[in-house]
Amino acid sequence: MRRALGWLLMIVVATNLTFFLAWGFLDPRSNYVGRRPPLTPEQIDNVLIPRNLSDTVPLIERWWNWFTSIVLRWDWGVSPTGQSVNEQVAYRMWVSAELVLGATIIAAVLGIWLGVYTASRQYKLADRIGQATSIITMNINIIVAALAVVLLAIALNEATGVRIFYVTGSSSPGVTGFFPTIVDALQHVTLPTIALVLVGYAQYHFLQRSLLLDNINADYVRTARAKGLTKAQAVRKHALRTSLIPVATQVAFTIPTIFTGAILTESIFAWQGMGRYFLDTINQNDINGVVAVAAFGAVLTAIGAVLADIVVVVLDPRVRVS
Amino acid sequence: MTTDMIDPLVEPPVGPAQPAEAAAEKSLSKWTLYSRRFMRNKPAVAGVIILIVLVLFATLGPLLSPYAVNDMDFLSLGKGPSAEHWFGTNGAGNDTYTQTAIGLQRSLMIAITVSVGTTILSALVGTAAAYFGGWFERIALLVIHFMMVVPTFLMLSVISNDSGGVWWVIALVMIFIGWFFPARIIWTMTLSLREREYVQAARYMGVPGTRIVLRHLVPNIGSLLVINFTMGIVAAVTTETGLSFIGFGVKIPDVSLGSLIGEGSTSITSSPWLFYFPALALTLLTVSMALIADGLRDALDPTSAAGGRA
Repeated sequence: MRRALGWLLMIVVATNLTFFLAWGFLDPRSNYVGRRPPLTPEQIDNVLIPRNLSDTVPLIERWWNWFTSIVLRWDWGVSPTGQSVNEQVAYRMWVSAELVLGATIIAAVLGIWLGVYTASRQYKLADRIGQATSIITMNINIIVAALAVVLLAIALNEATGVRIFYVTGSSSPGVTGFFPTIVDALQHVTLPTIALVLVGYAQYHFLQRSLLLDNINADYVRTARAKGLTKAQAVRKHALRTSLIPVATQVAFTIPTIFTGAILTESIFAWQGMGRYFLDTINQNDINGVVAVAAFGAVLTAIGAVLADIVVVVLDPRVRVS
Repeated sequence: MTTDMIDPLVEPPVGPAQPAEAAAEKSLSKWTLYSRRFMRNKPAVAGVIILIVLVLFATLGPLLSPYAVNDMDFLSLGKGPSAEHWFGTNGAGNDTYTQTAIGLQRSLMIAITVSVGTTILSALVGTAAAYFGGWFERIALLVIHFMMVVPTFLMLSVISNDSGGVWWVIALVMIFIGWFFPARIIWTMTLSLREREYVQAARYMGVPGTRIVLRHLVPNIGSLLVINFTMGIVAAVTTETGLSFIGFGVKIPDVSLGSLIGEGSTSITSSPWLFYFPALALTLLTVSMALIADGLRDALDPTSAAGGRA
């Protein structure tokens, strides 16, 4: 409980700090520079003041308006063009989640499986090939990976003459019905997921491999073998369980960083998710939106940390007892 | 994270040779031992060779080209690779070969600056926090934990976009947002170092605290710092290319690998060479640095073979 309060305090401070930082570097007024016909400062003020985005109002007053509207009405404000930030975030977070959660789960499962597989064959051919591949894929830039996937998919589409994969957007307009929607979603989500998994699985592979190697010769695994379990059973039921804890913690902690990593993936594949929103809000001097993105990131970090704690409790019997 | 990565095709496993090595350790000088261990790791040597080639390409490459980075050849706009333009040209007639070399140079400059800065800053803060303890430690840890929640990439984007993409501003901000994570790892490592006899001895001899930190603690985490430095370059290149790719980093007329790839991505089907060459340079750079870091980890730090995390 004290922990949760600490995180809450951190989130509040970080969000407020971003508010002042954003005002220091972004100015919604500059959106109106160079308009034809030119707007007078009064006209701009008439647009901006009701939206709490005018720099003629003292900063502390803007902050008070922003802060009280969140605390009292959970209203995160509007963009310079008048769109509600709440609506945007509420819609976009699911778009991002569709991309990021699937990719994280696949990457973690694949990485852990590879780690277990290669650790039980240490220094054999499969282990060496796996290590060499993973160290290369881990260090391929996500941009390069995503664009390479796009090029390959376009080549595949041309070769078969059918549009198997879509390289832009998260869904096609005008698709109805249950199965067509799922097929359509899969056609869109496959490519970005491949790109994210390709660069993301290797960290879990390395971590799981080295942790399992620490445990695989431990006394309790030998005891399990002595009691008649096969090697595979001993590894799976005894060694893996202990070594899974740090990996699971790592997975939980990477959730927020994957969301920022998805900025690049989303902009390459033209997904209208949180990453794309991050770029748009900065480009449009949408201060309320920027602050909402920052708050979203801080909340995810906190959720990741809390999840990590929960995972330890679930997996580690010693913690559960004490 | 990884243990030795020996190319299976080149060399048989060297695992069992370990005890003999340990016996020879005393007679060999530190540097011979390091270099011998490093050279045994074939992928790491390959990484060094690739890196040398890339650095030569970044420094001497532009001299070989008859075009300057912003020269526009109006007779060949958006042409593929040819004898005249080795890597082709973009839609404005810029020579892609020159741009890739200069972009690589810029990306390397930013990465090295950032990695030097973060390594020094994190080493000083981490060791000092652990050694001095008390209020200094508490404040340092508070700042570190706070930085973990702060949206650092957002800060970087906003500030660098506002600065108009000046490379050293980007580098400074990247140092500012990059130091705290390694600092925390160094702090946990120094916690055990500070209880060692030689640190105690130095303290009772009356050596001042700053001197103990600089002369006794920092050199003793040297191997970690070297590895952090190489990994830091990979991280910095990744961040910088991402930033420039989305248009908040290095801006025209300056080029970096990220901005070149960003430009190439808009016309990836019609002129893919604009993407291929910068992407190849970027991939070679990060992969070679990672291989070198892996080799250094084995060469400098034999106890970390299992690689558990701090």
